[in-house]
Formats: sequence, structure tokens, C-alpha cells
Amino acid sequence: MCGIVGYLNRGKKTKQPLGLTLYKMLGALGCRGPDSAGVALFTHGHRGALIVRVKLAEGNGHDGLAESVVQGVAAVGRVKTFSTQQGYLRLVLDYRGDVRPVERLIESMHKDVEVVSMGRSLEIIKQVGTPENLDSAYGISGLEGTHGVGHTRLSTESRVDLSHSQPFWAHGHPDVAVVHNGHITNYHKMRRRYEQKGVRFYTENDSEIIGVYLAQRLSEGLELKEALKASLVDLDGSFSYLAATARQVGFAKDPFAFKPLLFAETDTAVVVATEEMAIRSGLTGRYVVREAQAREVRVWSR
Amino acid sequence: MVEIDGEGRTTREINSAVQEAVSHGADDIRVRNTGGRHNLGVAILRPVRLTLDGSVGYYCAGLSDGPSVEVSGSAGWGLAESMMNGMITVRGHAGNGAGAAMRGGIIVVHGDAAARAGVSMKGGTILIGGNCGYMAGFMAQKGVLVVCGDTGEAFADSMYEAACFVGGKIGELGNDAVIEKPSPDDLELLESLLSKHFGRKLKNLKARLRAFQKVVAGRKLWNFDKREWKTWKEAL
Repeated sequence: MCGIVGYLNRGKKTKQPLGLTLYKMLGALGCRGPDSAGVALFTHGHRGALIVRVKLAEGNGHDGLAESVVQGVAAVGRVKTFSTQQGYLRLVLDYRGDVRPVERLIESMHKDVEVVSMGRSLEIIKQVGTPENLDSAYGISGLEGTHGVGHTRLSTESRVDLSHSQPFWAHGHPDVAVVHNGHITNYHKMRRRYEQKGVRFYTENDSEIIGVYLAQRLSEGLELKEALKASLVDLDGSFSYLAATARQVGFAKDPFAFKPLLFAETDTAVVVATEEMAIRSGLTGRYVVREAQAREVRVWSR
Repeated sequence: MVEIDGEGRTTREINSAVQEAVSHGADDIRVRNTGGRHNLGVAILRPVRLTLDGSVGYYCAGLSDGPSVEVSGSAGWGLAESMMNGMITVRGHAGNGAGAAMRGGIIVVHGDAAARAGVSMKGGTILIGGNCGYMAGFMAQKGVLVVCGDTGEAFADSMYEAACFVGGKIGELGNDAVIEKPSPDDLELLESLLSKHFGRKLKNLKARLRAFQKVVAGRKLWNFDKREWKTWKEAL
């Protein structure tokens, strides 16, 4: 079990911040996975600057590391602002080119350092514990944005720590985040193939492969919808997963419909979640909720 | 009429209130603000009327024996699972596994049902007004599954003595599923089911009835036979 949620605002002003909506939705799914919680928010950004969220360490023990990362990264672009919060360093960088060299540069500074997310609007915040823990540590319910996805985890096969938590960023591809409920059974086979091509894996979590897969498909020039459709053929196992980009949110469900996923649309928003309770917690009013069918793929744009 | 407001109450508190009302002899109970909670109205063993005002989560009205439950919104996974008797009506859509392993009674879904509706049903009737998803009727042993719209893939796979009726297109037949012509008795049953439950919404009932196909087991998988290994290999 795991719980996943997604929310996309359709451009109208809403009363509550995106972070609060996702937090309420995750709260309704907390019992599906108390191991870790996380959100990927697509914010209004910093005028096109690159927002980088870096995991310095699993806990608070990262003295001096933040400063050396900031100094190091200044070699590729001006650091507009930076701050640390628990084990995270968040920095806003004036940088326009390919994000992969920046990621490699940051991660070369210490073996524990991991870029959790990168993009012009994407920010991933995740940690071990419940959605309540996540909110008290990072105040996610106050964060503004246009759309996002979230996850509560019940770990079945891999370690419980920040790196193994979801959402996963599609490393190397800015502004793409994935949350997954299920198991990818051809994970090891696919991982070996990617590793032969030089792709770095950060965890032993099978869900990580979806981000890697989508990053590759999107880099090939596929639209998100096409990439999701292609994944129905290439990924084996049980899955309902959500993928979000700077302007879209979409889902794919496996050919056997092993994992739940429901969605609802109104004039103001699109809401997707593992259970209807979460949908009702995120969006009030009257609307129809449907369960996605086997092999169904849907994408909504802003 | 007993009214229970679900707002601010846990599932256990709501269900306790419902059970208490049932044990005090109430025959009409309404729960407001269901909020998509799981396990609402389970294990009601008397013929009471329960209205769930809103959507419900998993296993709604499971293990029922006799009640008449109406859900005004949608229902999640495992609607009326293992029910013995009663009538469960869902105005919206139903999630996966509606009526799984049910033994008797009737489930009426006005909208669509997702995957595996009627999986392993052992009796009773499921009536779906819209479409159904993947693998509906899988391993159904007895009972009737009616789908007024289209079906998904692997429809009526590996069934025993259940009968399925489809008003729309069959997405793909499952293993050992065969189409046959509905008998006059079948048509009579369909007519009474449709007019009773969808009466006011239905136009041209007679014409619609003519479109129904009946799907039953081809009985190829009932007993293992080495000579039919090819069929088995496919099914397994």
C-alpha cells in the first residue's frame, strides 16, 4: 500500500494554498503509509532561475557542508538566495543551461549529498514520518503553487530514509516528479540496462525507475502522454502512478488494474488520489469521482 | 427515520450509531457527510433501509444480509463484498471488485464499474447501468451479471455456472467464455430487472433487450484434460 495524490489548479484563484490542499489530501491517506511523506510542488518560481533542493544528510549533521556547496555551485552561476532547513539546502541559481552538469557538480562535493529536485518551478519536500511530521518540519501547508503531487509510503522492499521517500525527481530532467503506488517487477532488469548506459541510481526503491524511464522518454522528445502510454508496455508489475511536469499532471494505471486510482474534474481543479476520501479532502463541492480503468492514461494541462 | 451526521465522526462511530439504530428496530436510517469513508454500513443483518448521502470508500455494505442500502455518490473497491442478501444501489460509479464473492441479493450500479466486478460471485445479481472494466465476472460460480454498456478486456474469464448479459460491446472475451443467444426466460429476467431498476431512465426497452448478448462458460476449463493442454496453457 502507499497513497498518492495529485492536484492541478485550472487557473482560477483558490482560497487555500496548494500546499494545504496536498497536505489535507495526504492526511486522508496517512493510514496507507506512515513510513514517509512527501510533496512535489510546482511553485510560481523565481523568474526562471533554477531552484535546487539538495539533501545534505539524513539528519541535521551537515556542519559547513551547505556553505561549501553554495561556494562550489557559484562557479556555474550566481546564487540568488539559499537557506537550510533540517537536512536540506535550498538554493536559487541564475543558470540557464543543461541541469546535469550542475547536478554532478553538487553531488561531487560529498558522498551523502543528493540533489532531490531541480527545476524552474519544481520543489520536492519529503522525509521519513507522517504528513503531520512533514508539515511541522517544513510548513508545507503554507506553500503556494499551481499544481503538485504527493505520497505517503508503506515500505515493502527497500530502506526507510529520506532518499527512498517519494516523490522522485526524474534526475537530469528539470521539473519532472513522479509518485508511485505498487511494484515494478522488471525493475532489476531495467536498472541493469540503465546502469550500463551510465545512469546513476540513488536508491534501491523500484519506484525510482519510473522517474528514470520518463526522463529518458521525455528527452527523446515524447510528450508526457506518449511517455506514459509507452510505460504501460515497458514497465511490468502493479502500478498506479502520477507524473507531473511544469505544466501538466498525468497518470498511468497498469494493464491489470491492480492498484486503485480515482480522479475528479471540475471547472476549477483536477484532483487525483488513491482513495476518494483524499479527493473529498482536497476539493469541496459537487462532482463525480471515477476510478481509472486498466491501462488508462490521462494527462491534464494548465 | 434516524439521521446520523458523519462530519467529525470516525468510521467506527458512524457504524456503531448505525448498528445501534438497527438493534433498536429503526427501519430507515440516513447517514450524511459520508466523506468517502471505508467500511460504511457493513454487516447489517436485518432488512432495514440505509441511505448513505454522498460517496463511500472501500467495502461499503460488505457482509450484508438483508438491508436495502442506497449510496447517492460513488463507491470504492469491494462494494457489498460477500453479501448474503439485500439490495445495494449506487447512483454514481463503483470501484474495483464490486460484488466480489457475493452469495445473494442484488447490486445496482447506475454508473460504471471498474475492474473485476462480480469476481468469484457465488449467487445473486449485479446490474451495471454503464460500462464495466477489466476482467468482470472472473471465476464467477453462480449468479447473474448484467452490463448495459460495454465491457473491458478478459470478460467472463474462467467462469463456472454464472451467466453474464451485455447490452453494449464486449471488449474482449476471457478464457473459456462463449457467447450464446439469450433464451425467452433470460429476456424476461432482463426485462424485469431493467424496468424495475432503471425504468424511468430507459427508452425503447424492447429494442435494447434485443441487443443483449449472453456469455457463459464453455466448460473447457472445468476438468483438466491433457489433450486440451493448449487451452490450459493459454488460461494459466
